[in-house]
Amino acid sequence: MKEEIRASSGWSSLGILFFLAGFAAAMIFGWVIFPELLYSQKTQPVNFSHALADHQGSGCEDCHSFREDGTFTGIPRLAKCAECHESPMTESPDEKVLVEEYIQKTREIPWLVYAYQPDNVFFAHAPHKAKGIECVQCHRDVSNESKNPPYRENRLTGYSKSTMKMDACEKCHAEQGASNNCEICHK
Amino acid sequence: MKVARRAFLQFTAGAIGGTLLTPVPWKLADDSAIWSQNWSWRPSPERGEVTQVPSICTFCEAGCGIRARLVEKKRAILIEGNPSHPVNRGGICPLGSAGLQFLYAPYRVSRPLKQTRKRGDVSGFQAVSWEDALKEIGGKLNRMRSEGRPHSLAAIISQQPSSVSELWSQFFKAFGSPNLFRMPDHADSLSLASSLVTGRAAPPALALEKASYVLSFGAGLLEDRSSFSRNQTAYAEWRQEGSHKLIQVESRCSMTAAKADKWIAVAPGTEAALALALAHVMVKEKAYDPEFMSGSVFGFEDWTDSQGKSRKGFKSHVLAECAPEQVSEITGLDTTTIRELARDFIIHKNALVVWGSGASHRPNNVYHDLAFMALNLLKGNFKADGLMTLQPEIPLAPLPEVQLDAHARVGLGKMRLDLAQAGRPPLTGNAIYPFLDAVVKGGAYPIDMLWVHECNPAHSLPENQLFESALMKINTLVSFSSYMDETAQMADWILPAPTALERYDDVVGLPGSPYAYYAVSAPILPAPEGTRNTGDVVLNLARGLGGDVQGSLPWKDYQAFLKFRVEGLAASARGAVADNAEVNLGQLKSGDALKLKISGSDALWKKLVSGACWYDAPEQPLKDLATVSGKVELALQSLEALGVHSDEDKIFLPHFAPLPPSGSDKDFPLQLVAYETQSLSNQYLPNPPFLTKLLPDTLLKGDDLLVEVHPRTAQPLGLTEGDRARIKTPQGELQVRVHLTAGARPGAVYVAQGLGHKAYDEFIKGKGVNVNAVTEVQIDPVTGLGTTWFTRAQLVRA
Repeated sequence: MKEEIRASSGWSSLGILFFLAGFAAAMIFGWVIFPELLYSQKTQPVNFSHALADHQGSGCEDCHSFREDGTFTGIPRLAKCAECHESPMTESPDEKVLVEEYIQKTREIPWLVYAYQPDNVFFAHAPHKAKGIECVQCHRDVSNESKNPPYRENRLTGYSKSTMKMDACEKCHAEQGASNNCEICHK
Repeated sequence: MKVARRAFLQFTAGAIGGTLLTPVPWKLADDSAIWSQNWSWRPSPERGEVTQVPSICTFCEAGCGIRARLVEKKRAILIEGNPSHPVNRGGICPLGSAGLQFLYAPYRVSRPLKQTRKRGDVSGFQAVSWEDALKEIGGKLNRMRSEGRPHSLAAIISQQPSSVSELWSQFFKAFGSPNLFRMPDHADSLSLASSLVTGRAAPPALALEKASYVLSFGAGLLEDRSSFSRNQTAYAEWRQEGSHKLIQVESRCSMTAAKADKWIAVAPGTEAALALALAHVMVKEKAYDPEFMSGSVFGFEDWTDSQGKSRKGFKSHVLAECAPEQVSEITGLDTTTIRELARDFIIHKNALVVWGSGASHRPNNVYHDLAFMALNLLKGNFKADGLMTLQPEIPLAPLPEVQLDAHARVGLGKMRLDLAQAGRPPLTGNAIYPFLDAVVKGGAYPIDMLWVHECNPAHSLPENQLFESALMKINTLVSFSSYMDETAQMADWILPAPTALERYDDVVGLPGSPYAYYAVSAPILPAPEGTRNTGDVVLNLARGLGGDVQGSLPWKDYQAFLKFRVEGLAASARGAVADNAEVNLGQLKSGDALKLKISGSDALWKKLVSGACWYDAPEQPLKDLATVSGKVELALQSLEALGVHSDEDKIFLPHFAPLPPSGSDKDFPLQLVAYETQSLSNQYLPNPPFLTKLLPDTLLKGDDLLVEVHPRTAQPLGLTEGDRARIKTPQGELQVRVHLTAGARPGAVYVAQGLGHKAYDEFIKGKGVNVNAVTEVQIDPVTGLGTTWFTRAQLVRA
């Protein structure tokens, strides 16, 4: 009787196997399937190649510029594209979409922005740039990128997967000796 | 079976253990918190280029510089104070910063509406085109003129000093109606008081910025919206410098009283009696400015009237009738307090008397305005570069002479309706109450059509039921409101104007300010298609009437009219333009060499629409006196000329002249006093929800308004904090709750103004009750203006 009880409450080698199977299944779900499920994948309306020599200009700020009042323009408007692409310059199918779908119809391109911060965050590029922080310290290096990566949107929150989170902001602020007071970012 | 169950449990345990080592629970917890940021019903501004547009706020008359933040130049997301504007230097009041809630309000009227059912039935409003609306109304106007009754058109317009009121006057004159009224304002009684003392109808202007001791008789320095930024800036400077003193004489512990160095709680409405007692002490102790009183003032000493009758002067009057012992009972203050206050006022240099009735939009009893002015005269404040002067004129281009056609001459041949009554007062002011009264009682002639512009008399006029009764006798009510307010709801036509943020307008002078000020408010956004600036509508109707009416109003549109006004400013070459906050307007002295560096009116216009303002130094107070004696008159000789005959000498002197409220002390043992607060809009604009959020639970709890009562008043009535009660006055009844506070004077009940709307949306409608519905207005027999100080009331447990 005693032995029976021990057998029924203890871990047999088969039991450990079941446990490990459950453990493995959870790990696979959690690390592999869950991230795929959580984020939807969207492609940009137009594929823009940063790698093209003509697109490179003399640096990021040729297109991603600051306005006179110090605010950052972000992604250029259609007008900037139209400066060169009034009509197709190449045989590229991407360019064809740009010209026919947007420039000729004077419709702004609904770019999916990888790095937008939530509304409750005030972020200004100007002071970061003044501090000498390079674009690539926060954004991906696009200098050799000929195809835009898919935009991955969190199905629950609606934010881009690559939205920088508060811990990253705080860490850098702490390291640089910048203030981490609430009202610095949440105005 | 046994194994399967055990295996399942072992598998689950493994899965749970494994899950805890994956991001799943942690990421889900984090994301669901972030998910709440993006609930679809949470408003979120669209992304895009953000720009700033400067303008001038015209939500009230304070003339503040503002900046609006726009996304993609089409969506306004913020209004903030303009730091380079000299009046408010970046500051902004709660109403201004909540201003966008008017722009995007669900209760906006965006197309002309015509009432097709019974008046007041909102579902009966039908959208019509502007062309049809103007054609129909224009037709009615034409008929009124051809039938010889243009005087049956009347209007009630806003009290805000804008050029649009000049346009209204011009139109009414050319059309042929004398019946144009503004909503009541303290400036109404102040300008009449000035006209008695100086012969000029400009209200007194008080240099708060230069005073180092301010004795305020009920002036809502920190509540009053009409000179909000100017007062706040002056107050901030006093407190920074530290040596200034502010004494507040008021029955209730208002914000101003709470922040003053001393609060003297007098009986409601008896501030003038106290002022005269101070005058008594000053005279008795010879602590007045003798040189000024003998050289520049008439009537300080005894005088002889035009009939040769010897009359008492101000000196004899205050010595005989205003001793602290005589005033003590009236004011409820002991004689020591009165004497101490008088000494304090006497020993302080740069001491200024300011006054009000707790609310900026209420005329005062003219004798009381005069009593406070007299105290400033005794102090020698009305001298060159003294602390009191008159509000300067702004040298805008005068409107062309009106060409009166035959119809207009018929209409203007009639007396204004209130003046055509028996018992008209000696002074002619903005007597809106006698006018409404005459309409109700069927005066000398009927009023056929009433226009209401930028005001909401059905709610914000004290004793508002008088307006409603008058409306029953008027065939057509035309509202020019941007919103579906109480008055618009009652209208037969609504011709909606764009909001103050979407049109050109101007600010002509700041209330009570010694320096001259002019600013143009440019739209931050274009007007919605279905709305039209009322100035444009008036010009359009004038064009439709043709002939001399059109000829007297020759401007293409309202903007052209404003440009025309600015031409006068440029041509005067007076003053200067300020586009930064370095200019210290409060410290300007008359005769300061200012230079208008801009030549040409186009250049000046451009500068003004970019958020700059025009200003000029104060005027010398004794300039252009137009009195019988050629001096400042404390004995009001001009009243004689206006037909006032009395054996009583004090009729010609500033004196304490309380107007008895109706009802008996026995039935209504308490005194109901309405008060104004910073966080409640109480005129044309309703309280936007952002502002209502600022109201404490001791003022508005849920939908219940709390009235302030002293614990000693509440106790015998069996009332404790938060209890429901009914206020009864001879005018009506309100359901309220009580808040017990030592800041209330025993025997008085204090009710906030601005709540109790019956229109607008769910966030405004039904919040609290409207004190105007139970307020009693007393008509000043000298000016015909409706004054309010207290209403007799009864408070009972509900």
